Amino acid sequence: MRKLFIIIILAAFGLMLYPLIQSFSGNDHLSELATYYAQKENIEKVNSVNLVTAIVVTYRGLDTLGEVTILFLTAAIIAFFLKGPSTLRTLRPNSEIFITAARVLVPIMVMFGVYIFMNGHLSPGGGFQGGAVIASAVILMFLAFPDAPFQHKFFGFMESISGLVFVGLAALGALIGSGFLDNTILPLGTFGKLLSAGAIPVIYSFVGLKVGAELSNILNEFKSVQSDK
Amino acid sequence: MEYVSLTIGFIVIIAGLWAIMTNRNILRMIIGFSIFDTGLHIVIVSLAYVKGGTAPILDSAVGINEAIDKIVDPVPQALVLTAIVIGLGVTALMLAYAMKLHKEKKSLDIMSFRDLKW
Amino acid sequence: MISPIHIISIGLGTAFALGFLNKKSNGLAVSLMLVAIALMAAVSSSWFIKLYQGAEAIEVYTAGFKPPYSINLRMGLNEALLSSLINLAGFLGGLYMFKNLKNTGKHAIMVFLVFVMGLNVIILTRDAFNLFVFMEVVSIATAGLIILIQDGKSIQAGFKYMIATGIIAGIFLLGIIFAYYFSGSLNIDDISNSNLLAFKGGSVAVLMIIVSVVLELKPFPANGWALDVYEASDPGIAALISAASATAMYFVLFKLMPIADLQWYKIISTAGLITFVGSNLFGLKQTGARRLLGYSSIGQLGLLMTILGLKPFLGDKFEYIAITILISHYLAKAGLFWIAGLLKKDKLKDWALLRKKPLFLVLFGTFVFSLIGFPPFPSFFGKWELIMSLSQQGLYFTLAMILTGSFLEGIYLFRWLGYAIKMESNESWTFKLEWNKVIPPVLFGILVYLAGYYSSTFAENFNGLYFIALAFILIIYLLDFLPAAVKNILSILSLALVSWYMLPGLYSEDMLRFIFTLIFLVGGILTFIAGFAYKGKREGFYPVALLMYAGLAIIIRASTTLEFFFGWELMTAGSYFLIIRGKKSMAHGLSYMLFSMAGAYAILAAFGLSFAETASIQLSSLAAVGGNITVIFSLLAIGFMTKTASLGLHIWLPGAHAEAESDVSPMVSAILLKAGVFGLMILMIAMGNNPEATRVAYVLGWLGALTALVGNLAAAFQEDAKRLLAYSSISQLGYILFALAMMSHLGWMTAMVYSINHFLYKSILFLTIGAVVLKVGTHYMYKMGGLIKNMPLAFIAVLIGIIALAGVPPLSGFAGKWLFYNAVIDKHWYFQGVIVFFSGIIAFLYLFKLIYSVFLGQLKDNLRHVKDISIWFAIPIYILIIGLMIFSAKPDLVLKPLGEMISVWYPNAGLSWEGGLATAPYGYWNGTGVMITIGIMFMALLGWLLLLSSKAVKVGQFNIVYSAEAPQRPETTHVSYNIYAGYNKALGWMVAPKITEFWDTMSDWAHSLAEYGRRLYSGNGQVYTTYVLAYIIAFYLIMIF
Repeated sequence: MRKLFIIIILAAFGLMLYPLIQSFSGNDHLSELATYYAQKENIEKVNSVNLVTAIVVTYRGLDTLGEVTILFLTAAIIAFFLKGPSTLRTLRPNSEIFITAARVLVPIMVMFGVYIFMNGHLSPGGGFQGGAVIASAVILMFLAFPDAPFQHKFFGFMESISGLVFVGLAALGALIGSGFLDNTILPLGTFGKLLSAGAIPVIYSFVGLKVGAELSNILNEFKSVQSDK
Repeated sequence: MEYVSLTIGFIVIIAGLWAIMTNRNILRMIIGFSIFDTGLHIVIVSLAYVKGGTAPILDSAVGINEAIDKIVDPVPQALVLTAIVIGLGVTALMLAYAMKLHKEKKSLDIMSFRDLKW
Repeated sequence: MISPIHIISIGLGTAFALGFLNKKSNGLAVSLMLVAIALMAAVSSSWFIKLYQGAEAIEVYTAGFKPPYSINLRMGLNEALLSSLINLAGFLGGLYMFKNLKNTGKHAIMVFLVFVMGLNVIILTRDAFNLFVFMEVVSIATAGLIILIQDGKSIQAGFKYMIATGIIAGIFLLGIIFAYYFSGSLNIDDISNSNLLAFKGGSVAVLMIIVSVVLELKPFPANGWALDVYEASDPGIAALISAASATAMYFVLFKLMPIADLQWYKIISTAGLITFVGSNLFGLKQTGARRLLGYSSIGQLGLLMTILGLKPFLGDKFEYIAITILISHYLAKAGLFWIAGLLKKDKLKDWALLRKKPLFLVLFGTFVFSLIGFPPFPSFFGKWELIMSLSQQGLYFTLAMILTGSFLEGIYLFRWLGYAIKMESNESWTFKLEWNKVIPPVLFGILVYLAGYYSSTFAENFNGLYFIALAFILIIYLLDFLPAAVKNILSILSLALVSWYMLPGLYSEDMLRFIFTLIFLVGGILTFIAGFAYKGKREGFYPVALLMYAGLAIIIRASTTLEFFFGWELMTAGSYFLIIRGKKSMAHGLSYMLFSMAGAYAILAAFGLSFAETASIQLSSLAAVGGNITVIFSLLAIGFMTKTASLGLHIWLPGAHAEAESDVSPMVSAILLKAGVFGLMILMIAMGNNPEATRVAYVLGWLGALTALVGNLAAAFQEDAKRLLAYSSISQLGYILFALAMMSHLGWMTAMVYSINHFLYKSILFLTIGAVVLKVGTHYMYKMGGLIKNMPLAFIAVLIGIIALAGVPPLSGFAGKWLFYNAVIDKHWYFQGVIVFFSGIIAFLYLFKLIYSVFLGQLKDNLRHVKDISIWFAIPIYILIIGLMIFSAKPDLVLKPLGEMISVWYPNAGLSWEGGLATAPYGYWNGTGVMITIGIMFMALLGWLLLLSSKAVKVGQFNIVYSAEAPQRPETTHVSYNIYAGYNKALGWMVAPKITEFWDTMSDWAHSLAEYGRRLYSGNGQVYTTYVLAYIIAFYLIMIF
């Protein structure tokens, strides 16, 4: 009976979505807004090869700040929410192959993460992606070495300092540049080089560090709910 | 193609809602929520597609002068990135809730958590 | 000026920096957070001041690009005001929660700070997607703050909240992304300019955006999750969610409405209305304070949503209405949640503990009254404008629903206030009050008064001087620590001053108002004199008594309907507190308040209708009403009749008057009831000559006659002396209503004479009986008896009082009767006249009982040493007796000028005077002559009796031999116990509590409806998601059909 009701509701919901498909006609060309972003003179104002990065970090940088805030919030909430005595569990020891592979992979993964966020303005990727890769290195660590101490002070410090740098650079844009999050407070450099696009690579790197640290913190909190005997 | 992906996106959204509304297990509800979110992301990306376009990253294939004619809309791509991260945060928090709820009543059935009502 | 964008820099920067602090410096962390919020508040309020002084709104572009290419923020007057409010609430809320935050640690502190910052961005941003991001920030922060107390309930509530808002946010995002696809921009202004509603897909996108914001405002019935949040989270957090978050979300809806069209405004207003009424209905069955506040919050949001939906109809009034009601809700709800947190009691009945701390009781009352829209609070002026505009637009249904919802809200809020004031409580206040938890509610309490004053300055034709009276009352309240005598003197002086100022001018200009001022203010002074009999401080008595008198003075002086209504509501509030002071008055206070509120809303609606017709709020413009006259006249009459306690609307009176303190009974009986009479007179002067009004008046005449009959009959069966007098008041007011309804010269003359008489003798009787009750310690007449020797002063006063009441010559009661018969014959209302005549005979029954069973007969053993009544009661009583004598002997002093005044409206068939001799069409009467004649006869008889008395044999009380056993219930042997059993058998059915039963049934129905309806909120988070989705579908269906 309840299911029938839900089916009716979802069917109605589907019907409601139908006009959206009806009015959808695909795109033959870019929208006006996107056209602006893709025009040569405008690309040069930001000087980022990756247009998505230009939008994410500069044009719509405020969204990104909010996004970072959300991860920050999640980490903070989970930190005080899951605090408390942990329950015991017993683990089967990890296999030698897994441990060895982890030893090899973790540094490479971290490096790869760093690469991704540093090149965020040049190639696909960026702070969030890089941060996520770093966090997956951390999760691998957790799995391979469940007893290894987690440097949560270090990660907490990383999180705060990168957040502050992000806000600081953004505010600097408002103070000396032409607006909050203006990337031209640093030289724009040569199009396509690592040191280009003004403050974008700096901001994105710190976003990457921050995301990496935050996700690691979250993972650690989840892990710390249970401890090994 | 874009119709197909848009429609699939909608179907995934509805599937996610179905999962949220019919599974009494809290973890399954959270998975449903993730599915719902994924559907949203598919829809967003579908809307960005421009016929014959490529990724909005300039390189040897797409020069700075011809970007306008060759790339897909970068805006929804930026938005979807934000949306994914938000979804991640929400899901993580929901999981933390699930852990706490389980700790409280040793149950993951949403029906066991009806202390507040009326 | 600091750019508004730095609200973000400050908030986020501090939040991130808090991460550096170690565990030991949590106190520092909270302080830093407070500093950051204070800075944010400084930024927003400095913008508010600048913009208020007339500066242009500014746009902040991020990244140096113009919108739509980048995200822009706008700081306009509304934005500045709201973000200042949010930061203020954030700051005080943070201060309030200092300890909780400190104990939970820096992570919670960060979340709190980000929460406040996020709300600011929600207000400022003009970009749809950015709005989505920061709404998510706030919603996640809220999910974090809910679990600050970490108990099982809050975790459940938080999870339900997350699931529901997760789906809502998803729908919102879907709407935004399609809005972008169709309009090519994410800027809200661009989206509204691109006319999305022109095609189907666009309308669905608009639907998704609007409906999800509406859902964030917790509309009924898709709001189960929100109720749980209010109930389960820490009251400090609930205060913020209710005050700050709701304010921000409301502004979001305001900001997004331009993308929709008129049809959407209508839908929003309907959704709001359903929420307002539904939520307040379900609130009736709540027993927990926080969940109740949740229902009330949701109800208020519904009202605000309705107002937003009505924006196209309200025109330039919209902002004033919305802001006044929003601010009242903001201040009151935060204050109430904070008090709830201080008290640490969730059961409504346990709130009686609150009165151990009078300051908080006062604050609690302040917030309750401001929520409901009493003066002098902002919502009063907002609701007034709202009702005026609604009736101007002809939106009668909306108007009726808003008043219904407010009434329902009043029921549970006043019941709760009654518990706090009167419920039995043996607990003591054991926990310590911390200053940081005291400051926020106190500050908001002060602010709500200031905001009220400020709102009044925008009201058209409103005399700000009335606030001086309120300021004086405040001073008296602050002097509450002084002994009662000092406050009594101050109160008497203030009333004397006002009378001195008002009376001379009125005597020559407006006899009607002169007489009522005399009754209200001089009567007030006299009853205050009796107050000297009370020892101690009498805490809280003087401010509320003065409040009532201030209200009464204002209704006399009012020249506009707004001023009149202002005074009317002040008077209601003051008298409510006076009534509820009585010993067992909790229920009576509530029923008085509910009848008064319903009456006030009837009056308000009528004023609105008259404004719609005449486009003026001058009281005199009531006379210009033509079209809706039957409705307006009836509504006003019903409103005023709740105060005169006419049949059907009288059930509050007996208990309220009987249980009141001895000197309060005359205040609320002899004086307060006349406010209703005054209102009726104003009404009939304005509209009486219209033939349609005459038809209604005919009904009122019948009602008056029946009230007189039933009131007197019920009085005859009472064993409680004060209840007897209370029923007698009902009946006397019935006479007055009947006389007024005749709408002739003599009828009105009768009404005035009755009003003056009733004031005189009911004051005398209530004061005397009250003073006797104080001495003997019981209300019940069968426990008294034979007091004539112990209390000669009281005996004489009661004797004179009942002679006047009975209408026996020579006192002025006879004048009233004489006029009455003339008027009835003149009007040809014979049948009704007979009923009134008959009820006059019944009056003898209870008057006899009053004097006989109290003063005559056997003296009770335990009363053997009772002394006469207090001198402080005797003084006003004998002043009143002198007044009665003068009025009886020289009625022409008042009646002549009164007759001249009445002939302005009814020139024919008046009295003609020759010295003291009045001639009516059917007879003549000379007050002085009657007095002298009866005096001589009385003296002669008295002399004869005294002469005979020497022959009489005195029989002592114990001069008989008692035999047989003592009866089980000794009182039944008292001669006056159930003295009229026979009459009761014959006529008792007429006074059977049918009417009380009727209202009880109504109340039961409302409560069962609430009980049944609230089961909608099953507690299952999954079901709530279904409601959310169903709600969206419902909107879609409404949109396509």
